[in-house]
Amino acid sequence: MKKLYCFIVVLLLLSLAMPLSSQGTKDMAGDTVMLTMGSWRTDDVEQMNRLLAAYKKVAPNVSIKFQPTNPPDYNATLRLQLDSKTGPDLMYARSYAAGQELFNAGYFADCSDIPGLKENFSASNRAPWQTSDGKQFAIPFAAVSHAVYYNKDIFKKEGIAIPQTWEEFLALNAKLKKAGYTPLANGLADEWDIFETFFLGLLPNFIGGAEQRVKYERGELKMNDAAFVAAYQAMADVAKYCPSGFEAVTYNDSQVLFNTQKAVMFVDGSWTAGVYDGATFDWGLFAIPAPKGNKTAICFHPDMAITMNKATAHPAEAKAFLAWLCTEEGATTASQNLPSGYFPMIKFPIKLENPHANEFLALNAGKQTDARFVWPALMDLYSPMDQAVIRVMKGDLTAKQAADSIQKLR
Amino acid sequence: MSKTKHTLQKKQQWRWFLYLMPALLFYVLFMAYPMLDSLRLSLYTGNSPHTRSFVGLGNFSKLFSDPTISERYWGAFFNTWYFFLIHLIFQNALGIIFAVILTNETMKGRQLYQTIIFIPTTFAVLVTGYLWKLILNPVWSGDFFVSIGLPFLKHPWLGDTKTALTCVALVSCWQWMGIPTMMFVAALRNISEEVLEAARMEGAGFFRLFFSIKLPLIKPVVGIIAVLTFVNNFNAFDIVFAMENVNGAPGYSTDLIGTLFYRYGIAGQHPIGIPDAGLGAAIATITFLVLLVGVIPTLKRTQGGQ
Repeated sequence: MKKLYCFIVVLLLLSLAMPLSSQGTKDMAGDTVMLTMGSWRTDDVEQMNRLLAAYKKVAPNVSIKFQPTNPPDYNATLRLQLDSKTGPDLMYARSYAAGQELFNAGYFADCSDIPGLKENFSASNRAPWQTSDGKQFAIPFAAVSHAVYYNKDIFKKEGIAIPQTWEEFLALNAKLKKAGYTPLANGLADEWDIFETFFLGLLPNFIGGAEQRVKYERGELKMNDAAFVAAYQAMADVAKYCPSGFEAVTYNDSQVLFNTQKAVMFVDGSWTAGVYDGATFDWGLFAIPAPKGNKTAICFHPDMAITMNKATAHPAEAKAFLAWLCTEEGATTASQNLPSGYFPMIKFPIKLENPHANEFLALNAGKQTDARFVWPALMDLYSPMDQAVIRVMKGDLTAKQAADSIQKLR
Repeated sequence: MSKTKHTLQKKQQWRWFLYLMPALLFYVLFMAYPMLDSLRLSLYTGNSPHTRSFVGLGNFSKLFSDPTISERYWGAFFNTWYFFLIHLIFQNALGIIFAVILTNETMKGRQLYQTIIFIPTTFAVLVTGYLWKLILNPVWSGDFFVSIGLPFLKHPWLGDTKTALTCVALVSCWQWMGIPTMMFVAALRNISEEVLEAARMEGAGFFRLFFSIKLPLIKPVVGIIAVLTFVNNFNAFDIVFAMENVNGAPGYSTDLIGTLFYRYGIAGQHPIGIPDAGLGAAIATITFLVLLVGVIPTLKRTQGGQ
């Protein structure tokens, strides 16, 4: 009897231990080397598999498996995997602080000497994945842009031209509203979108590009100066052109409003360009215009890079893949397989197939571009600034009060 | 002979323990150990076992002295109490009222009403949360409310810091009301007919009958339900996640301890997303203590009579 009990207990314990031991990785299958790639782009499995299949032709003995994680969980999951030494061999790296943190913790390999990196990427495109002492921790992969999506059919019907200044933009909104339209689809419910796409999208128009941003970061310019107050005021001014009840409109709602022609314009990021592929109306893009006297600038944000695990079992193969991404051939293959709205950062002129993606890129011509204002050095201000923008749009704060509240945190 | 019988008895005395073993093993491994370990974790900082270091009560002092974190914590703390009180009042009061109606012998279609009240409980929270999010969104439902002559209902309920938390709590009440209703129905049916009959003979009216006979007799159930409401809602996370996302939009007005814990301890704050497991464990530890302090006296007062 006793033996039976012991047996049952041992069996139970064994069954508990099972899931732990079944996690072994099959690295070698014949002569091919299996590499895994971690990512937060769950939407891009198909595109990435095409890209990786193309790489298979270049390096027949290497197979790369794309294993994306749900975007909000990516940082946490990746950390957990890296901590427990089950991290992927190759992985997407976030720009600036989030990426630096993982490099400093010793998880990302130093990519500074990958051939082709320094030659084929401009210094400003490499910067988002560099530490303060200039070490490169990832290969730049794709950037995103921000602009105004507009319904061409309605613009034509109402006889509206694309606005060249912020003042014209406001006048156009007023005209549309008078004609019974909801001019803008943007809402506040999800909180991140109004800030990242709209406020940070228009900010370079009011305060200037990268040189000016650096002055704010160093504290040479105050974050409650006239330019900043004007930017908050701009948000206060557009609130009345957003849908009625915009306080409860989510990012998805905004997309639906624009896609069903219930709203005429949507200030959004390039990553949604693919959402309107099947739209029943003609749509286009224009840059968020600068106020009179300022030059229109674009928020062109470095978003994705690929790096390798410092502890990978196959450093040579992983490195070879990164080097391939730095070649014209690799970058072209990669860009053609990127989802629409993600733009290559390599210096070669790469033709994209999607017309709207090219429209986005064309907006950059002759204009200054910069990353999203808070990303490079002021990430602490993300939440307070986000809340300030929302409160300004709801009318709880004046533009001046909002700017002062942020300057106080510096 | 007698000696062997004695040892056999002794042997059998401990047999019950073996039957308990599997459940106990699972409980210890998956409930008790992680909970105790999270108490321990609250004294450490760092996210990985390799880089973790002991900080004593550092996480707790950070939670209450860092101006941003403590503002968020106290905001979430009071929101959670408010969220719980709405449940205690609306969910359970309505539960009692419905139970009294449902136990009324003369009522027709009792089964049907019982089913209708209980059905929301069987839905997934994400589904009810999403549906109510659409219903409460003026962009989608506003025209309908205007067309049926109730234009005042066209309001961004979930986007207004003054109404958001109340709406979320009421949606949660709507969903879970079936549980207390069923428990009260069961308790009310257990009251012996003789007692009620005697009271009626003495001339007790409906309200006298309810407050002097029924309510005191179902007091233990009221206590259990109060405790369950407390425990479930002090840990609430899912309904806010479904309706307002983990930041507790708008402007942290629906931020509960559950969402705060998720942001600080598990997912990290958007957009950097670096979690602080120690700080998260500190929040969880305090919640555990609050629950302990809240549950024991309630149980003592309502279950003591037996």
